[in-house]
Amino acid sequence: MIVRLVRLALIVVGCGFLWYGATLLWDSGADALRSIAVWFAAGILLHDGVFAPVCIALGLGGRRWLPYRWWAPVACGAVCTVALAAVAAPVLGRGGAVANPTVLDRNYPLGFALAVALVWILVALAVVGSRAHPTGRAGRR
Amino acid sequence: MSTVRGPEVASRVGVALGVAIAICFVTGLLSHWIQHPPDWFWWPAHPVWLYRVTQGLHVTTGVAAIPLLLVKLWAVYLRLFERPLIGSPGRALERGSIAVLVGATIFQLSTGLLNIAQFYPWKFFFTTTHYAMAWVVVGALAVHIAVKLPLIRDALSRPLDEDRPAPDVPRGVSRRGVLLAAGLASAVAALTVAGQTVPFLRRLAVLAPRSGRGPQGVPVNRTADAAGVRRAAADPGYLLIVQSGAATRAFSRDELLALPQASAELPIACVEGWSASATWTGVRLRDLLATVGASADADVRFSSLERTGIYGSSVLPAVHARDGSTLVALGLNGSPLDIDHGYPCRLIAPNRPGVLQTKWLERIEVLDT
Repeated sequence: MIVRLVRLALIVVGCGFLWYGATLLWDSGADALRSIAVWFAAGILLHDGVFAPVCIALGLGGRRWLPYRWWAPVACGAVCTVALAAVAAPVLGRGGAVANPTVLDRNYPLGFALAVALVWILVALAVVGSRAHPTGRAGRR
Repeated sequence: MSTVRGPEVASRVGVALGVAIAICFVTGLLSHWIQHPPDWFWWPAHPVWLYRVTQGLHVTTGVAAIPLLLVKLWAVYLRLFERPLIGSPGRALERGSIAVLVGATIFQLSTGLLNIAQFYPWKFFFTTTHYAMAWVVVGALAVHIAVKLPLIRDALSRPLDEDRPAPDVPRGVSRRGVLLAAGLASAVAALTVAGQTVPFLRRLAVLAPRSGRGPQGVPVNRTADAAGVRRAAADPGYLLIVQSGAATRAFSRDELLALPQASAELPIACVEGWSASATWTGVRLRDLLATVGASADADVRFSSLERTGIYGSSVLPAVHARDGSTLVALGLNGSPLDIDHGYPCRLIAPNRPGVLQTKWLERIEVLDT
């Protein structure tokens, strides 16, 4: 009963919020609205049509070519690398793009390279460590 | 195909993502209300660092949510291809609501990330769109949770890795491993920007759009050139007008410097998430208002020499106007204010977004109470 009430309340409040957000967006004007629609649709299409299939292909490749003891550390490293790449995308190669010397004022290529290198050094250590201490499921059996 | 995808991972990462979205929504709403206050809204002057924390949390949490969103979508991706693709009206509605949720969330995180890097490859106005889309995200999320609640409860009540594989089936990545990867990636993403807000993490913030450096040790959001005020601000005949009703006085910068000076340690905290604490010196606003016989128990409008853009003026609520640390600043960290920080003088008040700390002041006007 309580769960049903909670679900009902969530739907009512959620639809209200959706409606309010939609009316605010609607007031943006035609040009802006078109641009919003493009970004909205592009996000879904890029993820579902490009990013996710590439991840699946890489995952299948990894399973095929890498010893299974490597899978967990490599998968973890891959997720961290994707996260770093996503955060780096708007700053990499944009030094000086803003006429303000206090914005985009780091060496982003170097920082990104160091961060990714650190991630994969840790992945390598985890792989080596798992070999030295075979405590995985296969080991316990 | 992977056997670790599914509701066990989706529900757990979903809870984390839901919390992140809730934090972003609440802190974002606060920031919106501070800038466009409804009648009932009240925001204190103390603690002076509160806005710095809420807005830093907003941006850092948004960045941390990026890997959570990707892992969440990974966990449910194959459901996209389940048959029938559309099916009954109810199913169409469910799929439609998920498309709205996914599209709006990707939209918020990607455009938000571009905004903190001052990158605007679109034709909409960022702040109003970010605000409107936030309601869409939270609304669609509430509907999604309502639809999935039995499934979520069921998945959360089951142990994470209950179905042990047969010993001859090697399984390299457990569900626990996926959650660990999501959590670590989220922490890594957050660490690369958190130093914009948290000083001791500054050296780790390798992807933060701000290093924290700038003239007089403080970054700048809008330069004098971008605001088109360089000539007017450097004019030796500059005068600051202070007005209350019929009483008006004009002060040159030297006359302001001749008034009793005060100093305050206050952060400048940008809506883009970066912040920096600094020592400001200048005239207390309430002392300056007293020169035209005004009490500081009223809202006060600050107008800039800046004529372009929409941030050329701000209204300071009475609670900040009467506060002793609110200054018309003439100096920063021990030297005269840099022109990019608002020379000849600027407003600096506690616990306010940087965009409302009006620079290159031309006029201060006490509003009717």
